[in-house]
Amino acid sequence: MKIKMSRHYLYILLSSLFLFLFVLLFAFLVLIPKGKEYRQERLELKKSSVKLQQYQDFHDRVYKKLKDLQSKNRHIITAFENRFDATRFQKENKNYFASLKLSKVVNGADEAGFSVYEVNTTSHIASPANFYNFLDALNKSDWIIGVNFPITFQRDAEMIRSSFRMKVYANKEDINTTKSKSEAK
Amino acid sequence: MKYSYIEPRKKSPFTQEVQLMVAFFSITIIMLFSTYLFLLYKDYNFQKDQRNILTKQVELKKNIADMKKQIAFINKQEALGEKIYTQNSVLKDSIANLFDLVPERITLSKAKLLKNGLILYGITPNKDVYNFMLQAPLRSIFQETYSSFYPAKNGWLRFVSTNYVKDDFAQEETNSNEN
Repeated sequence: MKIKMSRHYLYILLSSLFLFLFVLLFAFLVLIPKGKEYRQERLELKKSSVKLQQYQDFHDRVYKKLKDLQSKNRHIITAFENRFDATRFQKENKNYFASLKLSKVVNGADEAGFSVYEVNTTSHIASPANFYNFLDALNKSDWIIGVNFPITFQRDAEMIRSSFRMKVYANKEDINTTKSKSEAK
Repeated sequence: MKYSYIEPRKKSPFTQEVQLMVAFFSITIIMLFSTYLFLLYKDYNFQKDQRNILTKQVELKKNIADMKKQIAFINKQEALGEKIYTQNSVLKDSIANLFDLVPERITLSKAKLLKNGLILYGITPNKDVYNFMLQAPLRSIFQETYSSFYPAKNGWLRFVSTNYVKDDFAQEETNSNEN
């Protein structure tokens, strides 16, 4: 049997076959792998987003904890940041003493990562109660101050002459960590 | 010379069949390419988002590490602050207890509070008053108690009472020998 086909139809048939083949190859060799890649990347992005959300939640929790801690310890934090001012200290505590003299402010050895000033103090008090009030006031003062041994009380006419050493604790110059560096995102 | 009475029909290579085929394949190819372009665009977007996520993650990690450092530092400040406040309060109570310990018949002229002991200077009417009213309570607090007396002008006795906590006393002795 002989198939009789004009040249025109033969061209159409060949072109159709070629284009069909192109579509098929393009779909299977390019489009489908790309589609798979797209699905894979979408999945990975989803995973990364979940992980990021977890980080964000953890970050928020840590941030909240830091803020709570900062507000709870505001007095201590600012007290550590303040540099000792002898004149201001005398002015603030003059009510407890008949006379108060800070003889020497020297830098002591660092303690537990904090710088320490040592201040020798001599004073006259009317009664021990004044000294107790002074110790109470120290815990509320603008500095972190510890009264150190030896402490001497000596009778001086109608007054008590007391001498003691105070240690003033402050942040080291290079540590500014309590200033909040990280703000909420 | 004319062989036909009608005008010849113009022949074009774009016959109806060719037009149909071109239309069909054009639509198909356009759809395929647009899908491919869509995928390329999405791919680019995903990669961009992924990079952003990674940057944010690194930033969050850094912030978390910074904040943890700050938390540790504040805890350290809090611990030291509380320790000092407690020491001051304990010191206040110790001094109050010391002054409460001294009976009315004995007058102190000087009291020296040491880290590991207490030295008292004063005047007592007689040794018995001192022994019963001051030395006895001091002995219950300190392990080492030494007293020395010397007469005062009014017939009373001046005394020096040196009291140490035992372990520290030994250490103090060692230190003073070394010096």
